[in-house]
Amino acid sequence: MASDTAIAAAAAPSAAQTAGEPSRALLEAVELVKHFPIKSGVFGRANAVVRAVDGVNFSLYPGETLGIVGESGCGKSTTARVLMNLIKADSGNVLLNGRAPGTPELSLKEFRSQVQMVFQDSYASLNPRLTVEDSIAYGPTVHGLGGGEAVRRARRLLDRVGLDPRRFAGRYPHELSGGQRQRVNIARALALEPKVIILDEAVSALDKSVEAQVLNLLLDLKDEIGLTYIFISHDLEVVRFIANRVMVMYLGRVAEIGPTDALYTGGRHPYTTALLGSMLSMNPDERTMEAPLAGDPPNPIDPPSGCRFHTRCAMAESVCSAKTPALTVSGAGHLAACHMVDPTSGHSKAAA
Amino acid sequence: MVQAVAPAMIDDTSIERSPGYWSTVWRRFRRDPVAMIALGVILLLILIAILAPYITPHDPYRGATLRRLRPPGTPGHWLGTDELGRDMLSRLIYGARLSLFMGVTPVFFALFIGSAIGITAGYVGGWVNTILMRTIDIIFAFPSVLLAIALSGAMGAGIVNGLISLTIVFIPPIARIAESVTTSVRNLDYVEAARASGAGGLSIVRKHVLGNVLGPIFVYGMSLIAVSMILASGLSFLGLGVRPPEPEWGLMLNTLRTALYTQPMLCALPGIMIFITSISFNLLTDGLRSAMDIKA
Repeated sequence: MASDTAIAAAAAPSAAQTAGEPSRALLEAVELVKHFPIKSGVFGRANAVVRAVDGVNFSLYPGETLGIVGESGCGKSTTARVLMNLIKADSGNVLLNGRAPGTPELSLKEFRSQVQMVFQDSYASLNPRLTVEDSIAYGPTVHGLGGGEAVRRARRLLDRVGLDPRRFAGRYPHELSGGQRQRVNIARALALEPKVIILDEAVSALDKSVEAQVLNLLLDLKDEIGLTYIFISHDLEVVRFIANRVMVMYLGRVAEIGPTDALYTGGRHPYTTALLGSMLSMNPDERTMEAPLAGDPPNPIDPPSGCRFHTRCAMAESVCSAKTPALTVSGAGHLAACHMVDPTSGHSKAAA
Repeated sequence: MVQAVAPAMIDDTSIERSPGYWSTVWRRFRRDPVAMIALGVILLLILIAILAPYITPHDPYRGATLRRLRPPGTPGHWLGTDELGRDMLSRLIYGARLSLFMGVTPVFFALFIGSAIGITAGYVGGWVNTILMRTIDIIFAFPSVLLAIALSGAMGAGIVNGLISLTIVFIPPIARIAESVTTSVRNLDYVEAARASGAGGLSIVRKHVLGNVLGPIFVYGMSLIAVSMILASGLSFLGLGVRPPEPEWGLMLNTLRTALYTQPMLCALPGIMIFITSISFNLLTDGLRSAMDIKA
């Protein structure tokens, strides 16, 4: 789907920043943990927890697009919501320019004007009782902008995302198509003039032609305004098209993170390889005849010991169930949490 | 295709506006003949109640021992006379005042208190929800008729006490509906998006929650008006609400019951009024509910 030139174009603006990683991280996740208790009984005692996010570390650099991929239930969306502080992390920190939100240095409100989010369901994320311009103008008024000025900004942004304000500003969400609604949601996210936008499956529900238009809009906006994206998706082709770096998640942990091309051409974690093996090929001769991976992901309530992937991994050895692999450098800006990458792990196929 | 213009030049008049939610609801409601008839009946009843002093042929309080229990159709008294010889038509017309008042007022106050409790419980959640809703459940555990009678009985007969007890009876169901609607709205993405824009709880409730929950709560409240009227009539019938000689449909039903065997048609008249009014409110509610159910 995505041609090579398009990938190059997408990677170009921030290639310098991602290659050597000298620039300071804009947004950092440090040992993020979010467990959801499963309550039962009269007094609602938690007798089990779902380990949705279980120790996630990564950095986001200015101007890049970080793709987050993984199968359903791997903690992608929970990570996004914890990053946004929509749900509180059990432990760990989110840092914006080195400062934690909710502290005197950086209020939560200020943090939220810098980091915005676009949700998957374009309809559910717009208040059905508000006109499009009112929905967009709401955020700025919360941050103290006057009503008239906020509405003017909303109309400017509508124009910017390709919707004629005269036709769309006074409409209600149900009168718009999915693609138009998602443009409105993007305009709403832009209304606070953020630095980072988290796109949580933002184009997944759109049909393919509309999806491509919205993706191009996102790329244009990024270049013009200098945005940084976290792009969460289960669509590996789309992530390859838009992301500079990709993070692969499995059962609440980071399996691998690295530059898009390096990861798509030479994934080091067996899960990455399996995940990418599920991508459809344009070449009929390279048809995949068997599933690259069998079975469902294990239950996050009771995840496997050691490496969480060892129950489905063809390369698994005894060390994999005994020891949790750490994220190990395997190339320029490329890290993988696999014992085969770590020479000291004791895995028979470990890189020497 | 409209030509692009600088957005700064767009003034309010050039914006195409869609009809708002409530005007759409009204347009859909108008196409529902049953609901429109129900609305007409209710408006007529309200009009009659307002104009009572000008349209009643007789004084509703003055009776005459010689003209007692005349059947409907008696010349001069179209709907007959009651057990004290008072004109039934005049009393039924005046009764509309008290009965409508007793039907609407408790629901009105219960809507305020119940929605406040329910929306707070639903939006805040957690232990606040538990405390508020379990307290509500305790009241809700009593059958509504029994509770109304017990409260009125404890506080003593009279209109005000009747209203208070009915209000208390209606707070729990309204609070429950408010809580469940609010809980479902608060988990929607647009509330999450509003939180993500840095808005505080009060601002979100005012701008995003109220507009989406008040409609359903209000419609539910409308359906309680009929119940409230019937309960108020029941209280009056038991001598706990309105007291004689005030004309109120429930009370009239009570005092006329002695004549049930001699003038059954006459005795049925206040009951027919209660029936017509409550079914009109129910049909109006149904119509409104389906008109508000706008799918994208």
